Amino acid sequence: MELQLGLSLPSTPIFPFKMLDLNSYGYELREGLGPFGINVNNNCDSCSSSCSSSSSGGADDGGGGTKKRRLLDEENRIVPKTLPLLFWTNQRPNDEDEPKDVDDHSSSAIFKNDGEGLVGWPPVKAWRKKVRRRVANVRAAVENSCGGRASSSTYVKVKMEGNAIARKIDISLHHSFESLTTTLMRMFDISDENGQKSFKLTYLDREGDWLLAEDVPWRTFIGSLKCIKLIRSRC
Amino acid sequence: MHKKMAFSFPDEVLEHVFSFIQSDKDRNAVSMVCKSWYEIERWCRRKVFVGNCYAVSPRMVIRRFPEFRSIELKGKPHFADFNLVPDGWGGYVFPWIAEMAGAYPWLEEIRLKRMVVTDESLELIAKSFKNFKVLVLSSCEGFSTDGLAAIAASCKNLKELDLRDCEVDDLSAHWLSHFPETYTSLVSLNISCLGSDEASFSALERLVRRCTNLKTLRLNRAVPLDKIANILRHAPQLVEFGTGTYTADVRPDVYSDLAGVLSSCKELKSLSGFWDVIPDYLPAIYPVCSKLTSLNLSYATIQSPDLIKLVSHCPNLQRLLVLDYIEDSGLEVLASSCKDLQELRVFPSDPFGAEPNVSLTEQGLVAVSLGCPKLQSVLYFCRRMSNEALVTIARSRPNFTRFRLCIIEPKTADYLTLEPLDVGFGAIVQYCKDLRRLSLSGLLTDRVFEYIGTYAKKLEMLSVAFAGDSDLGLHHVLSGCESLRKLEIRDCPFGDKALLANAAKLETMRSLWMSSCAVSFAACKLLGQKMPRLNVEVIDERGPPDSRPENCPVDKLYIYRSIAGPRFDMPPFVWTMDEDSGLRLS
Repeated sequence: MELQLGLSLPSTPIFPFKMLDLNSYGYELREGLGPFGINVNNNCDSCSSSCSSSSSGGADDGGGGTKKRRLLDEENRIVPKTLPLLFWTNQRPNDEDEPKDVDDHSSSAIFKNDGEGLVGWPPVKAWRKKVRRRVANVRAAVENSCGGRASSSTYVKVKMEGNAIARKIDISLHHSFESLTTTLMRMFDISDENGQKSFKLTYLDREGDWLLAEDVPWRTFIGSLKCIKLIRSRC
Repeated sequence: MHKKMAFSFPDEVLEHVFSFIQSDKDRNAVSMVCKSWYEIERWCRRKVFVGNCYAVSPRMVIRRFPEFRSIELKGKPHFADFNLVPDGWGGYVFPWIAEMAGAYPWLEEIRLKRMVVTDESLELIAKSFKNFKVLVLSSCEGFSTDGLAAIAASCKNLKELDLRDCEVDDLSAHWLSHFPETYTSLVSLNISCLGSDEASFSALERLVRRCTNLKTLRLNRAVPLDKIANILRHAPQLVEFGTGTYTADVRPDVYSDLAGVLSSCKELKSLSGFWDVIPDYLPAIYPVCSKLTSLNLSYATIQSPDLIKLVSHCPNLQRLLVLDYIEDSGLEVLASSCKDLQELRVFPSDPFGAEPNVSLTEQGLVAVSLGCPKLQSVLYFCRRMSNEALVTIARSRPNFTRFRLCIIEPKTADYLTLEPLDVGFGAIVQYCKDLRRLSLSGLLTDRVFEYIGTYAKKLEMLSVAFAGDSDLGLHHVLSGCESLRKLEIRDCPFGDKALLANAAKLETMRSLWMSSCAVSFAACKLLGQKMPRLNVEVIDERGPPDSRPENCPVDKLYIYRSIAGPRFDMPPFVWTMDEDSGLRLS
């Protein structure tokens, strides 16, 4: 049983939302209008341009509030554009050129592209991601001479006999030959059983030898893998 | 005066009555009846729960509850699990340990979640509390096996050492040998997060052998499959067991050894571990499956057919954690075999892949919802969803208390109608009247928040990402959800208006997290100034917020109620907004 402290805001509510009839907004999203009839596409190109008049922060007794109260009294009128409803930072200059669809807020999200797309998405615990990556750590300093990449990368080059184009696969996502072969079959478009049976998985190990993957345990495979080749089995 | 005395009990009687009241909420209620009850209650409260370590200071807790034996503390906000809280933000436990060590030596239990625990803290615990019994560290970091060695060496009465999902600096596996040979009181040991490749098996074996009360043992990945039999042989009384790596060269002797030892564990109810599983060794656990109530296969990269076989052997399963390799077909089997299922978590095997790698869709969740009458808690990662499926789920399973759905691609629409998923989630909150926790995903407009504000009256925790159109969405939630305690939002177009209009609401909640939204620095300052009982923290790695125009959105915002005032252990990229924030920011 929480104690409801029943606080009230300072006497002049800064944004008296409760006075507004929520039903009157409707969802006029298609016209690109937000609840206040303001064009929500009005992007703040650089934050300084549109907000000069309220830059004193409105920190005192609703000094900034007067402007906003006027806004709310005239619900049905178009509000002066000096006070856009939403502010966006200018994170990616290139995105300014794209037409802003109301439903598309992707340019507003701060994307951090460190090879994984969004930070923290999907929301899988860092711990779980680590578990997968440890497979890559087991094979420590792999000099991927086939791919020429830095040793911290978990991508391995994959070639298929008869196919000129080499592909790359993130080996840290796999823990078994089954999941690896499934992915490889999909990658090279080998969907049928016969097709799957006619290929053998071979790999180049650290010593420079080509070995049959099925001959070794997964851990050994991962530990010395440099690159993969699918060859046709001759039975 | 006489009337009062005739109706009051001696303190000892009241204390005895209060001793039957264990829940924090009830204890809090008791303490507010009158002053004398407050006094009696505070002297006899034995367990203290602090949901946010910065909401109150250790000294305040100790002053109010002078004789507690058990404390639970939580530190970082939930989104820290997904790397959204930069390292160094805070959540240090040392000040708490230091205060408690000084106050009294009879503390017995410490449970921490998302806190930074140093070896120094662990050493202080080991040194200060003579009757220390329980240490549970959940998603904590900052310590090494040296700290664990100190605990092992000094805590003669230790019953429980549980390290779940912690980041431990693995300096040496030999910390286990620091448990003296005379030490036998261990009941629960969870070292599943430790990574050390050289585990000292003999020390582990000896420990298990002499601790005959051991009920829970969760090993780490480094323990090979052929060693498990030796360890289990000495602990047939185990109730909960977590394997290490579950792969080995297929050898009949190892298999039969393992199967034999497992079948002699008659009390086994919960299994976990199963890293690197190879299907050949799975049947070894079939003999114990019929009694299993909890199964964690979330690290087991085995395919659907093997999962189906396994799951069909477990009719009494109440809790299942599994990877999406189980697929819709496996979930259908689960729905028909496990009628006691209460909790299901399906994790993505390839969360960053662009294409689905398994055939797991909304159908699996529908099947389980239809088939399992006791299902109340779900965490489900998938790649597509429909309103129709969500409505079916809601209608058939109104007893959901926790519903967390993650559609992997942000803003994915209903795949059948291409509409937003507002109606589907609306059905969830409308039918599931006891819903306490909800995580949203997919394409969502302000409408879904209107539904949530209208119906989700018992909702305590809401997680939102890439959703909504305007402040109206946030306003619906803050003004409508009466029981809301924790709200976490990322990448939504919510700004100042809703936040400022509902400022009072924030004092009734534990915390609010907003990152990559549209709340301006000006609004943060205003909130900090007007609401002295809120800590308004701006987290911005781009530099001081006042180096940008005031109406620029802040990167991350964490607001929480506190009676301890602003904290002073903040790193350079965190600023607290209060009356003096203008002065503090230089």
